[in-house]
Amino acid sequence: MEVGRLPISASQRGKLIRAGYTTLSSLSSLSPSDLARELNVTNSEALEILKVASLNSRLDRTDGGHAIFNGAQTAWDMLHEEQLLRRITTSCADLDNILGGGINCKEVTEIGGVPGIGKTQLGIQLAVNVQIPVDLGGLGGKAVYIDTEGSFMVERALQIAEASVLDMVEYNDLLRKEHRKCQVNLKPNDLLESIYYFRICSYTEQMAVISYLDKFISAHKDVKIVIVDSVTFHFRQDFEDLALRTRLLSGMALKLMNLAKTYNLAVVIFNQVTTKYMEGSFQLALALGDSWSHSCTNRVILYWNGDDRYAFIDKSPSLRSASAPFSVTGKGIRNSASNHKRIKLM
Amino acid sequence: MAPLKSLEQYPRIINSHFLAFCASHGILTVEDFLLHDIYELAALAEQQPDPEGLKEGIEELLSMVDGELHQPWMNGMDLLADSLQNKHVLSTGCEGIDLLLGGGLREGQLTELVGPSSSGKTQVCLQAASNVAEKHMGRVVYLDTSNSFSPQRIADFVDLATHNFLQNVMKNILCHSVFDIFTMFDILHQLELDLRSQNGPRRVRLLIVDSISSLITPILGGSGLQGHSLMVSAGCLLKKLAHQHNLVVLVTNHTVGGEGGAPKPALGEYWKSIPHVRLMLSRDRGNNTCSISILKHSSMVYLGSSGEAIPILSKETQNIMTRVTVVVMSLMMIFMIGTSIDYVPAPAPNPLYHSSDDY
Repeated sequence: MEVGRLPISASQRGKLIRAGYTTLSSLSSLSPSDLARELNVTNSEALEILKVASLNSRLDRTDGGHAIFNGAQTAWDMLHEEQLLRRITTSCADLDNILGGGINCKEVTEIGGVPGIGKTQLGIQLAVNVQIPVDLGGLGGKAVYIDTEGSFMVERALQIAEASVLDMVEYNDLLRKEHRKCQVNLKPNDLLESIYYFRICSYTEQMAVISYLDKFISAHKDVKIVIVDSVTFHFRQDFEDLALRTRLLSGMALKLMNLAKTYNLAVVIFNQVTTKYMEGSFQLALALGDSWSHSCTNRVILYWNGDDRYAFIDKSPSLRSASAPFSVTGKGIRNSASNHKRIKLM
Repeated sequence: MAPLKSLEQYPRIINSHFLAFCASHGILTVEDFLLHDIYELAALAEQQPDPEGLKEGIEELLSMVDGELHQPWMNGMDLLADSLQNKHVLSTGCEGIDLLLGGGLREGQLTELVGPSSSGKTQVCLQAASNVAEKHMGRVVYLDTSNSFSPQRIADFVDLATHNFLQNVMKNILCHSVFDIFTMFDILHQLELDLRSQNGPRRVRLLIVDSISSLITPILGGSGLQGHSLMVSAGCLLKKLAHQHNLVVLVTNHTVGGEGGAPKPALGEYWKSIPHVRLMLSRDRGNNTCSISILKHSSMVYLGSSGEAIPILSKETQNIMTRVTVVVMSLMMIFMIGTSIDYVPAPAPNPLYHSSDDY
């Protein structure tokens, strides 16, 4: 049934079929008011249905001719574009190395780990690092931070921002005089001003914000990273209908992918862990199930190895599997040094 | 359905007398005509003043319906000729997979790669794309739903010793990002129109949808079977494109938990019978290799639970290398008759098939 492939709502489709309109040609010579009367819908709804139908049938009638259809790119063009893209540094050299330079734009990166490993710290660090000016090797963009757990501490963000500004000034001074591009005029408060913060309290709010982001980012074109911390929290407790949960999550994943691709930004989502019965024993695995594990481009798992924090690339289309140590210091995420250990409880 | 009145442009036979006769028996559209008993109609025509003219009208209408409304019938010899000339086998670039599939991916078939996350599905797709673009000089259309198309990886796969110009190879691969199923339908319809007008050596030979399950999962379930009908029509459209335009269609699917914790392919029972070939990939984290096995094949018996998975991929190396360790006896058992009942094309001209003599 041709009407089945029109992107209209299920109730509109049901009304069309009950009224006898099953093919696109039957809708071609109809006026909106007639259709509105037959289907018992408003005039504007009928107009929209007819517009969508005519768009689809026009697609059928055009005789090909173009070798490349709209929106497609050849691999050659994409290769060049990829080489020009800058990555967002994590401020830890080892972590940047295994990520191929940092977090990549146009991709959705999922970062998961046990509680207390440093996911929110990494999130705040990335929100600050995306604002490093272009002259110093960064993206010079703004950040959107969607907080579902309430773990974003403004004082900590200020601390990380101050340390970041000090690092930028130091880096600028180390460059030889001819290469010094500019004075670093950023203050920590400027860095905080460029982080757009959303606090979410339920899963419907989460779905709403992610739908709204499209409009928000088209109005704020300098946003270069969207951080969702964490995407699991509201979907774990008391969700009775698991099939609905799968549908909502996969719809959300597609929207995030669309955002990343359309606006050329990085999307970083944090996930929690759960236990799973695999290969004869209970093991830790990322939450939200098998269907969700396919919804990201890259996956990084943070884990403890003895007393050190490590990051492991679990899934990536172009990066090798590797792990690297990092540490959480007063200044934020930095390289691992032997004296930065987890404090043992006596 | 079109009303019979629109056929008045053929006034020679289908004239107003014929139309009035039909209308008097409640036949106003082509659908009514097809549903009505033709013999009864002919018998009723005998009693009319101009029986011969009416009978000619009935014959004429039937022949028009025959000529335009359905695909022409093909007999076995036509099918055999079509499969020998048009339905070639494309190598995937990995010897182990080619060996498992009896030569490679077959044109005209929908092949599905199923596997849990990070088992190598996208890598197999990228390798197949680069191989077709390079060795067979065919064009590749790659529909990507998770931004995982990596041009750098394609560049790594291309063997620069034999190809001086990476550009020519890479320009053969077209990548399009799709994020919902309706966009995919639009693109496939547009591709169908493009394919009807293309010919020559640089035609599209491989269509990859990575992954189709991310497009279908958001609409599957809930109230009503709308999602299922879209899924089945997507599958039928892909198979139609494959058969009519001699394409290899490769799709990827993910797994969900099945009984006893063993992973089973997603998308449920309705999707199960749609692909011609289903391959299951899995990754062994211990020694970092990936294995592939056949779940369903239209001309081979599947290994299933009793068969051995053939380890072939190693994620560490730049190109996907092969380590085929197959016992010869099990190979001989593999190439027996399959159980599918579609009009299976003739077996590929492959020496390993000689053991099957009751095809």
